Amino acid sequence: MIPARRVKLFSNWFAIYMRFRMRSYFNRLVVMPFKPKEGHSVLLLCNHFSWWDGLWGNYLAYWHLDRKLYIMMQEDHLRKRMLLNLFGGFSIDRNSREMIKSLQYAANLLNDKENLVVVFPQGQLISNHTTEIAVEKGIERLIKNIKGPCQIVYSCALIDYFESLKPSVFFHLYDCGIAGEVPFEELTTRINNFHQQALKAQVAVEH
Amino acid sequence: MIYPKKNNLFKWCVHVYVRWLANRNFHAINFNTIEVDKNRSVLLIANHFSGWDTIVLLWINRKLFKKKFHVMLLESTAIKEPFLKYAGAFSINKTSRDMIYSLDFAAELLDDPENLVLIFPQGKLYSNMVSDIVFEKGIIHVIKKATGSFQLIFAATFIECFENLKATANTHLKNDINVNFNNIGQLQQAYQQHYDNGRQQQIQIVK
Repeated sequence: MIPARRVKLFSNWFAIYMRFRMRSYFNRLVVMPFKPKEGHSVLLLCNHFSWWDGLWGNYLAYWHLDRKLYIMMQEDHLRKRMLLNLFGGFSIDRNSREMIKSLQYAANLLNDKENLVVVFPQGQLISNHTTEIAVEKGIERLIKNIKGPCQIVYSCALIDYFESLKPSVFFHLYDCGIAGEVPFEELTTRINNFHQQALKAQVAVEH
Repeated sequence: MIYPKKNNLFKWCVHVYVRWLANRNFHAINFNTIEVDKNRSVLLIANHFSGWDTIVLLWINRKLFKKKFHVMLLESTAIKEPFLKYAGAFSINKTSRDMIYSLDFAAELLDDPENLVLIFPQGKLYSNMVSDIVFEKGIIHVIKKATGSFQLIFAATFIECFENLKATANTHLKNDINVNFNNIGQLQQAYQQHYDNGRQQQIQIVK
């Protein structure tokens, strides 16, 4: 497992630079109103359908949720982009026993209320049009190991174009509860309900 | 009402521009190959989520249908983008009595087997995430008014990102549709079925 070697200065610089890049690539980045609980770390569970998802996690952590970003990445992906290791990237290898170490590492990070860990519960790239979110079992283990107060947040990012030729991304954020207080089955149900809500809200979004 | 204009130089410029736009913004434009009758015109009905849907279908027309492309646009769009009339665009104003002339003109175009008429019966832009398709009534007027033999083709386009920076457009096409629709509800239901099938195929893509 590759632990994060997060350097605050580089991470902040990267968040500022990426916001500039995103603003030029996207027509709009719309974050639905959401306030994280004070005194809680954040486990940010995101839908995973594109190259951009991790960078959006960084954007949300720095500009909207006001936490230090850490992000769980597949080991082969992180090895190819070791620079991301300096911005909070740590690895997980789903085919190895080291996976448990990565989950424990993520849980330890979440004991600090200033931290935010981005995890993609689907574990693979799935279409943006999917109506169901499959949450992998590892999430259950991760949550069980969190000792400090931690808020679980589901972020559903959806792409639309409308009048522009540039894409717009809409982030629908939902509070899934506090780690340790929500059973895994209940968490999966909540995430899927929130995903359905997000799809409905997306149809009514202003453009 | 704004009619399409013939100017080979402008037409060529529009096609070059569209090809450049598509190559610059899309990783791939995928579609299923269907049989197209050379001796019959094509009435193409599609979902409307951005300006890209027209560009994607113009691209598919060049690759598959190989007909003279015509598209019905809102008058406000046709005024804003005057060059589009050289690419086969004609306008419709939903708030004016002129609307009937636009629908009649679309039906007349279908008399010529070399023509393709693209119409977005949703009448305005909707999210690409929409699950229920709602059609406006005008399209039934076109189908009933068209005296020539034409083939009705459904297109449902979905945009995905996956591991590429550029988006991928997946268009699901369906031909062999019986055009004897008595009312808009029947047409809408037939299209909805095709749209749901396309969306279902889309959801099953895992990378």
